Amino acid sequence: MRVETPLALPDDKPSFTQAMRYKMKLTMREPTTAVGFVVAIIFAYLILLPVLSILLDAVKVQLGDARRIGGEVGDGTLYYLHRTFLSPVAQNFFWGPLKNTLSVALGAILLSFLIGTPLAWLLSRTDMFARRWFATALIVPYMLPSWTFALAWTTLFKNRTVGGQQGWLEAMGMTPPDWMSYGQFPITIILSLHYAPFIILLLGNGLRRLDSQLEDSARILGATRGQIAVQVLLPLMRPALFSAALLIFAKCLGDFGVTYVLGLPVQFDVLATSLYRSIGSRQTGVAGVLAGSIMAMGIVALLIDAYVVREARRFVTVGSKGSMDRKSQLKKWRIPATGFAAFIFIISVGLPVLTLTLSTIMFVPAKFTLDNFTLQYWIGTDLETVAMRTGILLAPDMWSAAWNTLRIVGSAAVSAGFLGLLVGYVVVRTPFRPLSTFLRHVTFLPYLVPGIAFAAAYLSLFAVSHGPVPALYGTTAILILALTADQMPYASRAGISAMMQLGKEPEEAAQVAGAGWVRRMRSIVIPIQKRSLVTGVLLPFISGIKGLSLFVMLAVPSTDVLTTYSLRLIDYNYTQAANAVVLIIAAVAYFGTLLAQRLTNTNLAEGLGG
Amino acid sequence: MPTIALSQVRKTYPGSSTDAVRSLDLEIADGEFMCLLGPSGCGKTTTLRMIAGLENLSAGELRIGDRVVDSAVEATFVPPEDRKLGLVFQSYALWPHLTIERNTDFGLRLRKVPKAERIKRTDDVMRALGIEQYRDRYPSQLSGGQQQRVALARMLAVSPGVLLLDEPLSNLDARLRLEMRAELKRIHGKFGTTIVFVTHDQWEAMTLATTIAVMNDGVIQQMGTPDDIYERPANRFVAEFVGSPPINLIEQNANTPIAAAIASYLDGRLHDVGAVALTGIRPEAIVLHTDAKDVPQDSFNLRAVIEGVLPTGGSWIVEVRAGGQLLFMTTHVAPTLSAGDDVTMVVEPAAFHLFDTDGQRMLNADKALGHSAG
Ligand SMILES: Nc1ncnc2c1ncn2[C@@H]1O[C@H](COP(=O)(O)OP(=O)(O)OP(=O)(O)O)[C@@H](O)[C@H]1O
Ligand SMILES: [Mg+2]
Repeated sequence: MRVETPLALPDDKPSFTQAMRYKMKLTMREPTTAVGFVVAIIFAYLILLPVLSILLDAVKVQLGDARRIGGEVGDGTLYYLHRTFLSPVAQNFFWGPLKNTLSVALGAILLSFLIGTPLAWLLSRTDMFARRWFATALIVPYMLPSWTFALAWTTLFKNRTVGGQQGWLEAMGMTPPDWMSYGQFPITIILSLHYAPFIILLLGNGLRRLDSQLEDSARILGATRGQIAVQVLLPLMRPALFSAALLIFAKCLGDFGVTYVLGLPVQFDVLATSLYRSIGSRQTGVAGVLAGSIMAMGIVALLIDAYVVREARRFVTVGSKGSMDRKSQLKKWRIPATGFAAFIFIISVGLPVLTLTLSTIMFVPAKFTLDNFTLQYWIGTDLETVAMRTGILLAPDMWSAAWNTLRIVGSAAVSAGFLGLLVGYVVVRTPFRPLSTFLRHVTFLPYLVPGIAFAAAYLSLFAVSHGPVPALYGTTAILILALTADQMPYASRAGISAMMQLGKEPEEAAQVAGAGWVRRMRSIVIPIQKRSLVTGVLLPFISGIKGLSLFVMLAVPSTDVLTTYSLRLIDYNYTQAANAVVLIIAAVAYFGTLLAQRLTNTNLAEGLGG
Repeated sequence: MPTIALSQVRKTYPGSSTDAVRSLDLEIADGEFMCLLGPSGCGKTTTLRMIAGLENLSAGELRIGDRVVDSAVEATFVPPEDRKLGLVFQSYALWPHLTIERNTDFGLRLRKVPKAERIKRTDDVMRALGIEQYRDRYPSQLSGGQQQRVALARMLAVSPGVLLLDEPLSNLDARLRLEMRAELKRIHGKFGTTIVFVTHDQWEAMTLATTIAVMNDGVIQQMGTPDDIYERPANRFVAEFVGSPPINLIEQNANTPIAAAIASYLDGRLHDVGAVALTGIRPEAIVLHTDAKDVPQDSFNLRAVIEGVLPTGGSWIVEVRAGGQLLFMTTHVAPTLSAGDDVTMVVEPAAFHLFDTDGQRMLNADKALGHSAG
């Protein structure tokens, strides 16, 4: 029964070279690591290189500045740092926009807390009317592109500071003051309405999962409701609130569209628009400094957030038996509370959408007579306008822009989705840890880079041909590449978490059964991950359709997508047509999000930050 | 079927400072039903995964037949998909997106078995395991026991020469467990499959195995037939780990009356009594007599007092205090005694297990005491 033991060599410790050979063999046995290296090279090229190049631009003499600075193009220099932070124009480039950015962001955080906190509580812990409906309805602002609201705002409040079609108030004979029409005030309001859903979702989730025994024990000890709120709920919710605040801050840093629409007329610059301007005026070095500053602030915010989240894990309070669905009785406050929720819904969704919709079916603003209504901007022919002679739905340009959007955003979303899953696979499975770390970080990097800066980097990198890569400016390829890279943070995070949940056993079982790598991917991994793959494609698609800043920099008329097309229409003062296009984008984004939620059986809360 | 041989195998997981398995020597012969038995965390799963190729070795060598399949020194590694083994996971690891039928015939499709034969073999194995009525369901729609049978069917369908099973019965209720044990035994007999079976349940190991390898701390403590393991535990760990209620151990250096009594009894029968550090007596080897006249001549005897009688359904555990130590004994005859009664405890010389200061069995003592040879 027993077989002769193959005598082991007395001291068979493998030598160093043997160990290395063995290790190589194990690492390279499976395509996982090889595929990982290919993906890593792709991302080094698509993400790292552009980011590095824009940062390097900040400390290198740029074309056209050589004489002024003294030195050759490409030499190291501190000129741009000095110019951006210390020179007389620094106020214009950096300090002014910084002040504006911070005050807008802080204002938006405060205001969204004022709106979001009561709503989160009403939705999760009270018997307010129509809670379920509001729970979805109040999230809608986040599904729509933020600059949609900016356009709605101008439609209502535009004054004569700018030409073109009048705002409704102006048309009714009331000229709104500049501070109301443009700049800080409307930008803050719009951003806070747009990001209030963050608070509603994050805080609402926290409140819902909170152990109600904690409240009960306080109540038994004689605490009043107010005391419970301040002494029990608030401290427990602090991490969630803090986290929401930092997320909003990071988002506001990169928001370009709203300020682009509402800040320009009064020269109200935030860092993102200042960056756009400096790129527009070919001040590449200054742009590098600005992009670096925005990135640095974003990184700091996220580091703080990560720290807070880690600290918060120390006292886990969620998901125990006591976390039942107990609702406070609002009694006589039930109707006012519902009214408050309805009011917020009306100003954050109803009014903007209605305004935009009405504006597309009226000849003259704010004239509510029957003969002023028309469908001709949608489906008319032989319009009197100079260029747009048909309704938007009949305009070939619109359809070609729509087709471009589908094509470009679609292919970017599909590649991001697949790359995301692949990154997830490699990160979770490769035995080579440095590769996994590199992939995780490099795919997250675009999250910290404002779209404008990213686009600028692409422009400078790919405008001319580099070795085997031809000049890509004006092609759809550059848009697809940039968009794919830009969506990788969400796609790779989705892929990693999906792969973590899968565990390795189903795959190992197939492996023992004799399935090689390709077969396992095809028959086991991808089919099991079908659902998350669909989400991984759909979410980047929605976010790409809403996206503005990348396209503003990289699209040319022949590669117009819906967003840039609507901006062009605004520039030509075809307000009705522009608003119609914006409505189409908003509709696609909204229904796409609903579809994604339906498919994944989740709500947006988990995909937040996306 | 080839022999599986592990020699001087060590496994250290990356990032871990201790070895999960160290200097492991193990041969599994063709047609054997080998049980790896040991407490939780002793490295059983790790050993199985190394055989399957799901973990690589940190040192040592693994052969299947004449072929070295994993060796750091030779930089050889044959991937799991080429080892042609069957493995049933502790957690089953069924593919959630495939029906029971597709789970079962996956391996056959992979091997491009002709359709008619594939269907026949799938049907056969599903019928044998009683899962053919669930063929169109998905794994999430089955109970734990049914899933476990699917996991087994999936591996049996390709009739691998070697079947590795990682605690496959641990999630089943007592009845199903019995049924599945019988099923495994039948499969082993019918197909001549070599089976390596991991468990921490000694009864499971005793009833199923042709060979048991007892593991602790990543090292094989003893390898032998179930009888060997129970009757001739090689060291203190094996003696203590196998058997329930556990073996009675008497420390010979503890200065208790019972230690002295045993020492004087052994003196003369054994020439190196001084080397005995530990004596073990299985509970069923102790016999109690109320009348000193009945005590057999040559046996060890000692006055004892009953401390308690615990019925365990059809058998009884009796606690007795003898020579300053509490001992357990078992009996299948309803005891007429009760707590406080005086008795004489009797032990046959062959029932003594003697261990030296290193906790190793004193083999030379076995012959002297008339222990049957191994
Ligand atoms: N992937 C891993 N990484 C690091 N350490 C591990 C890993 N898997 C197991 N270990 C450690 O190796 C040792 C042996 O683990 P193993 O899973 O082989 O035990 P086991 O005998 O199967 O236990 P059980 O009966 O609980 O299943 C344990 O100490 C365990 O903590
Ligand atoms: Mg185990």
